[in-house]
Amino acid sequence: MRARRGFARRRVVYALLGVGVLAFAGFMISQALNTSLVYFILPSEYAQQPSQYQDRRVRLGGLVAPESVRFDDLDLQLTFDVTDGLATYPVRHVGSPPELFRENAGVVIEGRFSENEFVSDNLLIKHSEVYEAPKDGHIDIEALRESLQ
Amino acid sequence: MSDASERLRRPAWLRVWGVALVPLFGTGAYLGLVWSPQDVNQGNLIRIMYAHVSVAWIGFLAVFLTALFGSLFLWRGKRRDDVVSVASAELALLFSSLTIIGGMTYSRPTLNTFWTWDAKLTLTALMVAMLVGYFIVRGLIDDPVRRGRVSAVVAIVVAASLPFNYLAAEWFRTLHPSRAIALDGSGVTMAPEMLLTLLFNTVVAGLVYGWFLVDRARLGHVEAQLEQERAELELQSAPTAGGVVRV
Repeated sequence: MRARRGFARRRVVYALLGVGVLAFAGFMISQALNTSLVYFILPSEYAQQPSQYQDRRVRLGGLVAPESVRFDDLDLQLTFDVTDGLATYPVRHVGSPPELFRENAGVVIEGRFSENEFVSDNLLIKHSEVYEAPKDGHIDIEALRESLQ
Repeated sequence: MSDASERLRRPAWLRVWGVALVPLFGTGAYLGLVWSPQDVNQGNLIRIMYAHVSVAWIGFLAVFLTALFGSLFLWRGKRRDDVVSVASAELALLFSSLTIIGGMTYSRPTLNTFWTWDAKLTLTALMVAMLVGYFIVRGLIDDPVRRGRVSAVVAIVVAASLPFNYLAAEWFRTLHPSRAIALDGSGVTMAPEMLLTLLFNTVVAGLVYGWFLVDRARLGHVEAQLEQERAELELQSAPTAGGVVRV
């Protein structure tokens, strides 16, 4: 009888410990994810509170504005505008454009704002979840290249 | 142990299954590498997707089945459920590691980075870490019943992260692209040939997983029997050897 009561009490203690550990783990995960959850900010979010992000390292996500891409292949200077439709900012990036970089492509850039220009040191592509074959069966490399001129 | 080799014999149906995997795998590779059209944006890089996504899905399935059989062990305490759970856990670790390796391979040329700490990738890394923890926990406990119970709880915790991982790109801002196949019926944003190739490769990956699951569970069952027999032998010999009897 006493043994059974002891077992029951121990089980309650274990259950409480288990819940405590799970809650702690959940708290840690949510803390760790917190930075990942706001993985990037949008140009319009920056526009609302520029002072909050000034001189701080941020990730900025948006689309490459059409007809804004300039690439100097001698000193690897890439400039373009990033936009979310509400706000647009010029971006300066040192390095060659990635393979999937083009006008209207989604990008996530890492770096910091200096005045109203974003200086990027890491250019990532965020492509959409649409996968389709090109209309005529092959890819027009020349058109791609041209869009990068 | 005269019947040891008999116990370890792979049944005929399992051998047929294993042999059938070879042409199926070959067909999947052909569909992905040759038959599928290029993607309008990614070109030939889309072909990596068939391996990455199918392996990732089966990794999720493996984690789910690990937790399911772990729960069955907690529920009715049959050793057999624990054996299947471990078999699935090993494959879950293998498939989720392959998911990360394949994802990095796919991500470098398309997204321009091997790795980034967005919600989806972080959750997947966490899943691999927790699966490694699952085996550490198992290695620390000698009593089979306690070992089964504790590892089942770990498996359930890992499985609890699955929905977050699966829907991470929908719920959070991630670099990882969202799902192209919405299970709520809102549509598929993938060309039909690509969808067929992906589904075929997923079925093949599932059959590979299933084959290793059955084979590993078979071995695990023999292993469990031997462990049991050894424990009984020790129990018999302990008193006569004049040692301390522990009850």
